[in-house]
Amino acid sequence: MMCTASFMTTHVGKIRRLACAFVLIAAAQAVPAIAEAVQTEHVNAELISEHLSLVPGQSMQVGLLLRHEPHWHTYWMNPGDSGLPTAIEWNPPAGFKVQDIVWPLPKRFDVGGLYNFGYDGEVLLPMAVDVPADAKPGSKVHLTANAKWLVCREECIPGKASLVLDLPVAPAPAKADPNWTMQFARARLAQPQATAWKADVRMNGERIVIALRGPGLPPADGLDAFAAEKKLFDNKPPTIRREGDALIVDSGKSEYFQSAPAKLDLVVTAPAPAGVRGWRVQVPFVDASAPTP
Amino acid sequence: MKPRPLILSAALALLVSPAFANPVIGQPAPDFSVTDAAGKTQALSAYKGKTVVLEWNNPECPFVRKHYGATNMQKQQAEAAAQGVVWLTVNSGAEGKQGHLDAAAATSYVAKVEGKEAAYLLDADGKVGHSYDAKTTPHMYVIDKTGTLRYMGGIDSIASTDKDDIPKATQYVRQALGELAAGKPVSVTMSEPYGCSVKYGS
Repeated sequence: MMCTASFMTTHVGKIRRLACAFVLIAAAQAVPAIAEAVQTEHVNAELISEHLSLVPGQSMQVGLLLRHEPHWHTYWMNPGDSGLPTAIEWNPPAGFKVQDIVWPLPKRFDVGGLYNFGYDGEVLLPMAVDVPADAKPGSKVHLTANAKWLVCREECIPGKASLVLDLPVAPAPAKADPNWTMQFARARLAQPQATAWKADVRMNGERIVIALRGPGLPPADGLDAFAAEKKLFDNKPPTIRREGDALIVDSGKSEYFQSAPAKLDLVVTAPAPAGVRGWRVQVPFVDASAPTP
Repeated sequence: MKPRPLILSAALALLVSPAFANPVIGQPAPDFSVTDAAGKTQALSAYKGKTVVLEWNNPECPFVRKHYGATNMQKQQAEAAAQGVVWLTVNSGAEGKQGHLDAAAATSYVAKVEGKEAAYLLDADGKVGHSYDAKTTPHMYVIDKTGTLRYMGGIDSIASTDKDDIPKATQYVRQALGELAAGKPVSVTMSEPYGCSVKYGS
């Protein structure tokens, strides 16, 4: 560092110190992740990083921050009756790998009797960047990505943006970017929590009935449930009730249901003071109508 | 008769029969009677002996624009007509909603996109749409000469708004029509439809 205490005693030093402080402030502002938000029709998109730098050999959190205009929404991995999930394609430098979106809990949108699952307001779609162990501290990483989405109110508009995220490589510990602490904290709360629930499923005519048992089952009031896979649930709000020690999720079967999959990834959501909270459970799917092997 | 029993029996009928019976592959396709853009009544039952395609349409939906912009839809309509297949485009957009068309607007839309469908059906009250459980635009149905539903779902296999995906996708309706014409069973009878939601009024 050029700015040391050595010349702080002199009068000139005072001036230098002041100049130095300015240089430091300017440097601090230049160092953080460089990314630019892209304003498209009804959505503002931006790549953000939880930390100010990438650490060699570590998996770091980044994300696609989408800010929707009021009444507009984009989609979850299973968009429901219509729509398309948001997709992002990265072009990371050699040795870097960006993992898939870890989808936050979806919200249900009633579009004239049809149902969509997705996000409105501000949402962060988080992803992990795997930084190679041989990434050189002091070097700059230029991450680019093409994001595509469908944004709908009732009408829909396809959107896309080419996005950039520039981050320096630095040894651990990485400092959190104070601009985005809140967004990443909220994104963690918006993740479905893993559970130790046991799930049993049975087909009841045109219904798929799932019984959940185990520790920490929430009361049935106000719950909603979603299948991460398409073509299983009919997308209408399921009936959710307690039956003794079990929480029952009773959903209509999709008319595009063809055969029982090996499993169904169920997400259960509950209204919470800060938006929504939820859980995930993998439901082993055994089709009662299938011939036993 | 007093009105009360009538209302009661109507309510009971609603309770007993599901409001919208889902269409089922291999089962008779729901019949309908609806006015087209030319003012003609179109009934499915009138086309016994012919293969019928139903296409749900909203001219302003980006998924519909993808297939019309690339002339994929018009080409398939023309191919179907050449094979003697009756292609009916249906608009279930309610009045005041995006994509709703009255007869005059529908006629000029078909002319503008050079649509080759046999008729453009005006279903603003959503009756036909609900009876087929049409969810998206486009949403496609293929009905064989006996009136049996043989295909329902997407126009093709790649859910996107990108025209470049069309050549890479399996065109399910074209495939089903080819198989039916050849007397073969339809290999893909269902696919999940993709598109904008149908803008029903209720």
